[in-house]
Amino acid sequence: MVEPLGIREHGYTCREVVDVASEYVEGALPPEETTLFELHLNFCDGCFTFIDQIKQAAALSRRVSEDELPEPLRLGLLEAFRDWKRS
Amino acid sequence: MSACTYSVGTVTEAHTAGHIAADDSALVARLRDGDERAFEEVVSSFYPSMIAVARGYARTRAVADEIVQEAWIGVLKGIDRFEGRSSLRTWVLQIVANIARTRAVREARSAPYSSFETGDAQPAVEPERFRGPDDPFPGHWRSYPTDWRTLPEERLVSNETLAVVKQAIAELPENQRIVITLRDMTGCSAAEVCDTLGLSPENQRVLLHRARARVRARLERHLDG
Ligand SMILES: [Zn+2]
Repeated sequence: MVEPLGIREHGYTCREVVDVASEYVEGALPPEETTLFELHLNFCDGCFTFIDQIKQAAALSRRVSEDELPEPLRLGLLEAFRDWKRS
Repeated sequence: MSACTYSVGTVTEAHTAGHIAADDSALVARLRDGDERAFEEVVSSFYPSMIAVARGYARTRAVADEIVQEAWIGVLKGIDRFEGRSSLRTWVLQIVANIARTRAVREARSAPYSSFETGDAQPAVEPERFRGPDDPFPGHWRSYPTDWRTLPEERLVSNETLAVVKQAIAELPENQRIVITLRDMTGCSAAEVCDTLGLSPENQRVLLHRARARVRARLERHLDG
């Protein structure tokens, strides 16, 4: 493994990167922090990969099948809708 | 997958313009007209997010379904008063949250959101993964996470992997589970989640971060193991 020389000079340690990963992914880091953060990512494969994994985790959650509307509830709601229409 | 037609943009526009966003206004007009197809569409597309909010307060799935039903009756009663200050979905989710909270109070239980600040303090990544203070590179990874982009697509999105994700989400503390379900599974925007649950943007992010970090850790164990 290549030693990440001078990583601390880039403002963030890997441990700190992990803590603010979602702030970065959500675009909530202030601009000057974002610059420092991205500088770290440019030099650190570990953190670059970690950020990618966080994004992948979110993307995979999106593919998980969601709760389906149960049939009795669907019918009950349709009934309620017809009642409402009549009223 | 729910049809998440309510993008961040729609919510923002509705907020700033103070009128019903284009997507919503057609839909709301059809509902007011008593269009059953429109109602069925919206009932099934909103269901995953509605049930996620209701589950945050209800002990059982059956009770959560009752809350969803009650919420729709409230929505229909109030649809003429919907002004589009938020998206239709946000408005509906707020009604779900209100009904669920009222019921939780009636049943003398405290709602999970009352303790949003505290939560668990479990770190996003185990501290052992990083080098200690005596190391020449303190706070740096001991060994890098593996690059999932090099995995074959079939493995990454296999049913087995998705089952791991689903299980990981199911086992999250309630607050985190609700937030990740709304954000990542049903595709709600951060603003929508904050408005529905009455969370500050920062708390919403903290909960989402913890939730995603745990899902990531479970995936890591599964994919690297
Ligand atoms: Zn790093």
